[in-house]
Amino acid sequence: MSYVRTIWFVTFLLQAFWLGAAAAGPKPPDEAFRFDVTQGEEEGVELFWSIEPGYYLYRDRIAASLGGEALKVVTTRGETKDDPTFGPTEVYHHQATALINALPETGELHVTYQGCGENTICYPPITKVIDLATLIVRDADDRKEEMRSLSASAAEDPAPTVPGDVSPASATTPDLGGNLLPTLLAFLGFGVLLAFTPCVLPMVPILSGMLTRSAEKLSPAQGFLLSASYVLAMASAYGVLGVFAAWFGGNLQAILQTPGAVALMSLMFVMLALSMFGFYELQGPHAWSARLTLGAGRPGSIGGAALLGFTSALIVGPCVTPPLAVALVYIAQTGKAMRGSAALFSLGLGMGLPLLVVGAFGATALPKSGPWLVRVKQAFGIVFIGVAIWMMSRILPLPLIAIAWGAFFVGIAFWLGWPQPDGARSTPHWGRVASAMAAGTLAIYGGLVTIGGITGWYAPLQPFAWAGVTLPISASGLESDGFQTITNEHDLDTAIATASVEGRPVLIDFSAEWCTECRLMERTVFADEAVRQRLRTLRLIRADMTRYNLASRRLMERFEVVGPPTLVFLNATGREVDGTRTIGATAVRDLLDKISVAERG
Amino acid sequence: MSKAVSRSTFLRLAGTAALLLTKTFARSAENEITSEMILADPEAPTAGNPEGDITIVDFFDYNCPFCKDAAVHLERLVKADGKIKLVYKDWPVLAPSSIVGAKLALGARYQDKYLAAHHALMSVPGYGIPQQQMIDAVRNSGVDMNRLNADIKANDAAITGLLKRNLAIADAVGFQGTPGFLVGPYKVNQALTYDGFQHVVADARARQAGQKAD
Repeated sequence: MSYVRTIWFVTFLLQAFWLGAAAAGPKPPDEAFRFDVTQGEEEGVELFWSIEPGYYLYRDRIAASLGGEALKVVTTRGETKDDPTFGPTEVYHHQATALINALPETGELHVTYQGCGENTICYPPITKVIDLATLIVRDADDRKEEMRSLSASAAEDPAPTVPGDVSPASATTPDLGGNLLPTLLAFLGFGVLLAFTPCVLPMVPILSGMLTRSAEKLSPAQGFLLSASYVLAMASAYGVLGVFAAWFGGNLQAILQTPGAVALMSLMFVMLALSMFGFYELQGPHAWSARLTLGAGRPGSIGGAALLGFTSALIVGPCVTPPLAVALVYIAQTGKAMRGSAALFSLGLGMGLPLLVVGAFGATALPKSGPWLVRVKQAFGIVFIGVAIWMMSRILPLPLIAIAWGAFFVGIAFWLGWPQPDGARSTPHWGRVASAMAAGTLAIYGGLVTIGGITGWYAPLQPFAWAGVTLPISASGLESDGFQTITNEHDLDTAIATASVEGRPVLIDFSAEWCTECRLMERTVFADEAVRQRLRTLRLIRADMTRYNLASRRLMERFEVVGPPTLVFLNATGREVDGTRTIGATAVRDLLDKISVAERG
Repeated sequence: MSKAVSRSTFLRLAGTAALLLTKTFARSAENEITSEMILADPEAPTAGNPEGDITIVDFFDYNCPFCKDAAVHLERLVKADGKIKLVYKDWPVLAPSSIVGAKLALGARYQDKYLAAHHALMSVPGYGIPQQQMIDAVRNSGVDMNRLNADIKANDAAITGLLKRNLAIADAVGFQGTPGFLVGPYKVNQALTYDGFQHVVADARARQAGQKAD
């Protein structure tokens, strides 16, 4: 730029209005807001603004950073500015103070603030640089930063203006647009890989239990047949997800996480369990639940197995994985429901393949008859009760679930310790001692958990965390990991706006209590020390999708999120950073890479 | 707003010096600031009477509450007066989302919907508008969002170039904050009411008449 000419021009312009401007125009920002800094207590500084009459500072626009990292600024309560349309805004008139604690002895502290003249003018953010050793204040090179922010954001499009812009496809996920056969094979392969994740693991006991119920007349071939119908139904359920997405939009798995559906499914498991305890035979013709489980009760009933497989995939273990998300987004964008559904069916099939092995070999491993079979059946009945409680934990309040778990363990204790009838005396002596000890331990543990539940205490059930099969009971402790939990767009916008004032990138963790992968990530990835260190510079938001309602659906639609777990990174201007989104379980190393990209973005 | 009126009254009395912005500078290179760039940037959206006898250049930010109040009065005057040319200078300086808003509005120009998008964004009250709220406002104004997205990408250089020129002009003119108005030869760096704008326009017309008479 020709500075000579510019300066000449400006001088020319100012000549004309010098008097006018000086007499009545708004004050320069440094006159409107006189800024000063003094040594505070606790190795901190105290910021002070003297504000001219008729001018005000915004409380939520005061931010500070040191070496690029945002700092906590303690501000006092401001006056609430009446703004009927925009809600309350806190501002300071006349003067304002703020504290920043625990600062190093040297370094450059950047303080940013912003304000307006009443009804006349709003100033751009003002940034001052404070040398911590001397407390000398100088102006930041605003102009340069202003231009840079414009150029930086200009290199990208401004926003996810139209959903569909951002493809969540990661490099490891195949393109659905190519040849159909390779696509299907690829999805089958991804399914197999997913089979050993918490997405499918809960299905192993369910399938095993189902086989056990029919064990008396079950050959390996029948076991395979039953497992196959279970797996095929599971795969079909995935295919249905695709059709549903094409017709109604949205992810059916998330939609089915309603209290009604979950309660119904839990009830079904309780019914199954009761029949396995031998409380009743499933020939009762009247109850709907009996009819529902009747098929599964008869040996070789393919229909029952299929029903269980279908509902298991949709309700018991809803899991969002990259291939699933890619297929659903592909369907939403192209409307090619059949192609997407075929891919999802392959995915489900792949996830079920290892279950087939369990089915075929598991059937041969089971005892054919006798008291042992009764015990095994009862054991799986207990597992089903556990599944039911685990599912109900998504919809029931915490203390109730704690009580349920407590009662559950006490129940197991009774079951173990109860003297067995007739010929069970064949059990060796040490076995009885072991089971008595186990019963005692469980009774104590269960009793403690129950008491905890009754008194509303936190119930320590961490032993199950390793499998991701954890309880939202422990979710109450998650607030402390630096994430702010939000459930609607307004709160999200507020959080993003705050981050943008602070100039911090944002990480939005789409999570839900029914999402086992999410729990697992919280305990492994987010608990990792390196990750925690790096996440400090980011503003962490957890979008809670536990309840599927209008608010959570809007949150998901806004970022085109198919379901949890999904991590979305926004840069300081609130725009999603390309290539940083993660769907499904994420490794520590991957997450660290994405954080680096997001910090640059 | 008595303050605004007294300012324009002062300007009328003080009118000893004025600048003829219509005077063009010779040999204008690309990066220089010329009155041509301020008044007749071909990329900058305009409204009102293109043949008007006076030009008002409006520097504003979609996060600036007073810009929005002032714009209502200004647009009303432009309509009532009938001989004012209005030039829009998107000047996104208040918050990061301001840049998003400016790009949305300027991108809508490629489907001849700048004014629709601009008015939609100016109708979102308050400051600190989240970018999604801006996007929703523009979408509801009838702008084709798919096309807008494509246009913003395709014309990124042009849009960013214009915004940079606007920033440079605002700096050179010496605006301290938003809103800023150039009314004929006068510079006004604050929100005005209808009466305020009327006074300044009258002053500017008188000034121009005086210049011609000289």
